[in-house]
Amino acid sequence: MTATTAPEAALGVLPRADGSAKYSHAGYIVTASVNGPIEAQRRDEHPYEAHVDVIVRPAAGVGGTRERHLESILQSSLAQIILVRNFPRSLIQIVLQVEHSPENDYVNTKLVQANLNFAIMPALFQTAVLALLSAGVPMKATATATAVALSHQDGSKRTIVDPSPREVETAQSVHVLAFTSHDELLLAESEGDFTVKEWDDVYETASKVCCQSALQKEGIAMVLDDEDAGGPAMRHFLRSTMESKVAADLHWK
Amino acid sequence: MATNERLFVLPGETIDPSLIPTHKKHPLRLGPGLRHIPPSDIVPTVAGQLITNPLKNSMWVEYNSHRYIPSQGDIILAQILRSTTDFYLCSIAPYSAPATLPHLAFESATKKTRPQLAPGSLVYARVSLANRHMDPELECVNPSTGKADGLGPITGNGCVFDVSLGFARRLLMARSREDGGVGVLEMLGGEEGGGLAFETAAGRNGKVWVGSESPRTVVIVGRALQETDKGGLGIEEQRRLVKRLVKEMR
Amino acid sequence: MPREVEPSLNERQFVLQALQENLRLDGRELDQYRPLELNFGEEYGVADVTLGKTRVLAKATAEVTVPYTDRPLDGIFTIATELSPMTSPSFEVNRPTETEVLLSRLLEKTVRRSGALDTESLCLVAGQKCWSVRVDVHVLSHDGNLIDAACFAVVAALRHFRKPDTSMEAGVLTVYTPAEREPVPLSWLHSPFCVTWSFFGEDGEIAVLDATWLEEQVRMGSCTVSLNKHGEICQIAKLGGTPVDAVALLQCTSVALTKVKEFSELMDRRLAEDLKRRDKGGFMAQLRADNDR
Repeated sequence: MTATTAPEAALGVLPRADGSAKYSHAGYIVTASVNGPIEAQRRDEHPYEAHVDVIVRPAAGVGGTRERHLESILQSSLAQIILVRNFPRSLIQIVLQVEHSPENDYVNTKLVQANLNFAIMPALFQTAVLALLSAGVPMKATATATAVALSHQDGSKRTIVDPSPREVETAQSVHVLAFTSHDELLLAESEGDFTVKEWDDVYETASKVCCQSALQKEGIAMVLDDEDAGGPAMRHFLRSTMESKVAADLHWK
Repeated sequence: MATNERLFVLPGETIDPSLIPTHKKHPLRLGPGLRHIPPSDIVPTVAGQLITNPLKNSMWVEYNSHRYIPSQGDIILAQILRSTTDFYLCSIAPYSAPATLPHLAFESATKKTRPQLAPGSLVYARVSLANRHMDPELECVNPSTGKADGLGPITGNGCVFDVSLGFARRLLMARSREDGGVGVLEMLGGEEGGGLAFETAAGRNGKVWVGSESPRTVVIVGRALQETDKGGLGIEEQRRLVKRLVKEMR
Repeated sequence: MPREVEPSLNERQFVLQALQENLRLDGRELDQYRPLELNFGEEYGVADVTLGKTRVLAKATAEVTVPYTDRPLDGIFTIATELSPMTSPSFEVNRPTETEVLLSRLLEKTVRRSGALDTESLCLVAGQKCWSVRVDVHVLSHDGNLIDAACFAVVAALRHFRKPDTSMEAGVLTVYTPAEREPVPLSWLHSPFCVTWSFFGEDGEIAVLDATWLEEQVRMGSCTVSLNKHGEICQIAKLGGTPVDAVALLQCTSVALTKVKEFSELMDRRLAEDLKRRDKGGFMAQLRADNDR
């Protein structure tokens, strides 16, 4: 799968996992596997809920503190949409393998302290949600995520959806937001300098990208590409991906 | 007989109240993939197709997956892990919690005449108890009649094959060819397959045992089942598959 | 405590019985490999290998660092194989299992110790700066024969990889970014491949190539031979297991050579196709900064 700007997903790519997904968007390619509910280790057992374990593996290098930080953020947000109370003392194991992240051609790579870009979080989150849906793990709702960068260049302020590594580097602040299918804010992480007003604008932009479902503007799902707030209709993309998967599964009916 | 409402649902979506069946006498029964949020919300929990049955006043979400969750009354194929004083510990799904099968839960079993099963043997059993707070329990006998009804240890030459849960359900349907679209087994035993002699035992946990005197037959049947499942083949494609396999493995 | 899933008695007996009649569960011949596919990623150095249901992804990267004090004229070359629960839920992170240790040791002996990559060419400034090349092996799916697939992926990734170009002028080392100068390939000497044989039967008389996960659980012993297409053997590892007749082992080695030639040809072909795909305008020859010697 080549790294493209429009989101693409393939489900069931790993034959031995309960559920799996390969997702590519804005230069990031991530493969996720979901196994569960399976037996949890004694130390992770919870008497009333399932334990959700997220493991993030970078493409090159050994994972470090940054990866553990991403894991804990993803774990707390995913545990909120999975119906963990249905499977006490079990484990839902999600492994995210980064296959490709967009290169910054102006900088030489540094290896050993593999530092995953903050802007990879929406791709990780989305792949995890797709893999959970593919595994048939009962959930309260689905969710979509996006990254927004605010940059002040030449005096003008720009809001960039799905920023490239160069844009992330030069931006004043980068934000990642995720919304559930009930339009609730599930995840909000930010890095950099910004005001409360700026964050509100980011919230508006992100909710437009994530919560917009199909049938906008004369019944056609638009993929806007203009300077102010563009971005693919994430929810529509999620729905159409799952719909084709289910149609293929139930072809015999 | 289910209605042909091709309604695709995602977890958390609201269901149009007009689709929910009503009945004068029977209460509404919810099957897998749906949950009830009091007082009157019915919400899907998985991505799949919403099916309603107005005759029996029931509704559920049809979807395919690979991880079996034990449910009471299901017939499954379990593997004995080890034996303790009173029961066998059996594995019904890889990496999931093991189930217990009491030593005496077999047809006309007493302490002296019970079947002695070695670790690694297979049994065809029914789930007698399954709820989320307890480890599942199995039985190989009907508790009210005392008869086995085809359950018990699997003997004879053969091998176990893994299939998806949806495919296993299709195999277990009363009319698997008409309702489930699975014709491979009939074809293999019929003219397309050259009249192969074999027997099968399908479990709802996605395991199918194929037994036959000839290993070649077992391999052909097993491959036919797995390729039909993985490739999502229709009846005509299954016919071609059977002919190809029989020719290849001559 | 990782929970291992053992195959049932039924499956064990059946696999052996079938093998005695020259039959395998997926209908293959005893010396037939599953369909082997090799795909490259968008960037240089990413190789995705599929061998039936086994999938291995290898990624090669390089950075400038200080060489080891006892080897000032050599660069650094490491292969990292950390299996994650994606491979199988019985694997834990940070807890190496026997599979992982064996895999990493075999890759080490096959690719590193055999001198497939010329580490002297990785030296930039003697004793001060050198390239450190690292290959990360990720096993995405495990259905047997990780060793052969992983070795193939590592070799493919290294041959596909391009490191940034450098130049030395008046004692000053300049490392060019990919935007400034087109990166250059590594100095590659020979391509070793692994071929793993599995033995079944009381005397290990049935030898099988490319075992699936189930066959690996049932086998009595195994032997991995690493060699290149010229027939030069890098290593032979038979770690325990049932004793095998010496003549049979020699026969295994010669069949391995045939397979390695096929692998080599497949890899050369895929590398050439990938190069052609990237070089659509024919500009590659012009962008190269080194001279033809």
